[in-house]
Amino acid sequence: MTIGSSVSIALRALSRNKLQTALTTIGMTIGVATVLTMIALGSGAEAAIEQQVRAAGMNLIVVTAGNYKAKTEDDGGGVVDHQARWDADPRVRQGGRRPVVSPEPSAPSPRVVLAGFHPEDDPMEKHDHPTARQRLGDTEAGLGMAATLTPADAEAIRKLRGVQYVSEGIHENIHLTAGDKRWFTRYHGGDVSLPSIRRSWTFTSGRFFTAREQSKQAPVVVLGAFVAQKLYGDVNPVGQQIMLWKQPFQVVGVVGSSSFMMTPAAGDDQFDAIYIPFTTIHRILNLSKLNDITITAASTGEVTRVSKDVTELLRARHGISMTRPDDFTVATQARQSLAKGGLRPDVARAVVGNVGGLEKVTLEQLGRTLDRATKTMTALLGSIAAVSLVVGGIGIMNIMLLSVTERTREIGIRRAVGARAGDVLRQFLVEAIALSVIGGLAGILLGAVASGIIAQMLRWSTSISPASVALSFAVAAAVGVFFGYYPARQASRLDPIESLRFE
Amino acid sequence: MPLLRVRDLVKTYQVGDVAVRALRGVTLDIHSGEFVAVVGPSGSGKSTFMHILGCLDHPTSGEYWLEERDVSRLNDDELSAIRNRQIGFVFQGFNLLSRTSAVENVELPLLYGKSVSASERRKRALAALDAVGLADRAEHHPNQLSGGQQQRVAIARSLLNNPSILFADEPTGNLDSRTSVEVMDIFQRLKEERGITIVLITHEPQVAEYGSRIIAFKDGQIVSDEANSTQRLAVGELALLPVG
Repeated sequence: MTIGSSVSIALRALSRNKLQTALTTIGMTIGVATVLTMIALGSGAEAAIEQQVRAAGMNLIVVTAGNYKAKTEDDGGGVVDHQARWDADPRVRQGGRRPVVSPEPSAPSPRVVLAGFHPEDDPMEKHDHPTARQRLGDTEAGLGMAATLTPADAEAIRKLRGVQYVSEGIHENIHLTAGDKRWFTRYHGGDVSLPSIRRSWTFTSGRFFTAREQSKQAPVVVLGAFVAQKLYGDVNPVGQQIMLWKQPFQVVGVVGSSSFMMTPAAGDDQFDAIYIPFTTIHRILNLSKLNDITITAASTGEVTRVSKDVTELLRARHGISMTRPDDFTVATQARQSLAKGGLRPDVARAVVGNVGGLEKVTLEQLGRTLDRATKTMTALLGSIAAVSLVVGGIGIMNIMLLSVTERTREIGIRRAVGARAGDVLRQFLVEAIALSVIGGLAGILLGAVASGIIAQMLRWSTSISPASVALSFAVAAAVGVFFGYYPARQASRLDPIESLRFE
Repeated sequence: MPLLRVRDLVKTYQVGDVAVRALRGVTLDIHSGEFVAVVGPSGSGKSTFMHILGCLDHPTSGEYWLEERDVSRLNDDELSAIRNRQIGFVFQGFNLLSRTSAVENVELPLLYGKSVSASERRKRALAALDAVGLADRAEHHPNQLSGGQQQRVAIARSLLNNPSILFADEPTGNLDSRTSVEVMDIFQRLKEERGITIVLITHEPQVAEYGSRIIAFKDGQIVSDEANSTQRLAVGELALLPVG
């Protein structure tokens, strides 16, 4: 008996009892629709949280030229410990021979300590005068400033595993002129991928500069929303010219904030700023170095590993022997956001007041915990929904058992004309699967509609992936097989003579 | 060589604690082209006998050779294949699938065994229906047909795979006298025209008279087995019976 005729027999049998079939199918439909909707809600929430974590910059790593680490920030950026660096050193691994210069085991770690503990370093202390941090701002007044990073470094980082976006960075203050208006602000030389790194950006008009403009070192500029407001008021500045370094630059776009938490303001360094391809700055100012490199890790959980890899890569590229400190600083955004404050005093005391480097771990772990929490939630929602699938499956089993009893005589007739036990088993199994699959298909439709309505009404984010549709379909078919097998086996085991006599 | 050779066939059922000996050593040969009528009161074992001959049941002991093949040792799938290709059944209760058209009922044996295309199935089923005079009832469902018509559909179904032997279990039990004679006429013509061996089970001696050989069962054993010298011929009787 061919599969085709099995299916057509099954469909005909099901069509004979339309109400029964429909009711059984509805059970499956609801089950599959619930599972699909729950997964859609769960993975929507997951995606939303992931996006917020990214927007908060938790996957951000900033490599700054120079090294001005303070003692409490000993191995900031997650640099590996000394022994690990030994093991990772390619010369040791390949040659099997340690380099001649070897650190004294008893000597203190060769780390540069630029500042000892100072009463002003206690963040909880109240001061009646501006502290060093407040006086100097977050540039730390050029401590350890050095031009060590190159575009080639950035290019090498781009090739590392787990790295998502990389942007070269050159930053300086600048006077700009537009007609008779002048404004003093910051310029940022960057890469085309910068908007992908700054997740909270939105282009209120125009666009960011293109890869072509970057490679052509074109004189184009993107204005921060605050600068645009200062220079042009309500006029659209796209297409206008402004003067930088006494040279004309064309405005191609205006960047604003999409986050209600951040409104463009004077001196905010993001929207009171202008953006130019770093290549253009290199050309005009005849430079070849970078102030910093901004990196995003593809996954928030990998920030530590990626920053370690970046450190090792740059040490190797800069030919730094292991007794010398880094000539750059790797910092994660998590640390920066902590350094800038924003934590409640008690939390800050717990974080900063205790162990150096703890804050980094904590925020990263927070990201990972959120990740895990949403995955757990999805699994939980899915398994609750799976209960309804089981109920649907039991409905199928029930109707199939009933059907086997009702059709005992039919089974006997089929056996008498030569159906094997296997043929009967297959017939009933295919019928059960047909019930569950029809229900499943309807459930996928219903689930998609339901998720759409929930997304619309409750403004929850939902996402239906092809994988979850395929999963629902597979689960529906599996339910049919699982709950249909027992009745089908019962049918196939009926004695032909008894079945023929059955009234 | 006989078509069907049975040696010392025994069948014992276990009903609760009681062992029911339905067949107590039956030995018999049936040759190709015979029209054998098996008679006996209910409980005499004739139905059990037919079920074993029809490969629906296994004997407890004894031998059963069908066309020189020892059938008593075959497994369930092999028995199904024999039922499909070598044997046709006609039952008292017609045993048609309800809510299924006549032609689909007739097609049924072709769904199993070696695969036959849907159009070929339909063609052969229609030809079989035509042979029993029901070509114009092909799309009717069993509940739209009279008892005699239903039994003719069942006969058409049993003939679809050109079996060598046809088992009929009380085929006239639910029919009036005229349609009973019609069914007997079909059987006698099948035997004459196509050489099909027919085994007819009945408890009515008058019906058994249509057979060329009459075997009487009692208490699980054959009590008499003789050629029927006074065979009734259905064709002649039909001519005399009033139509309708």
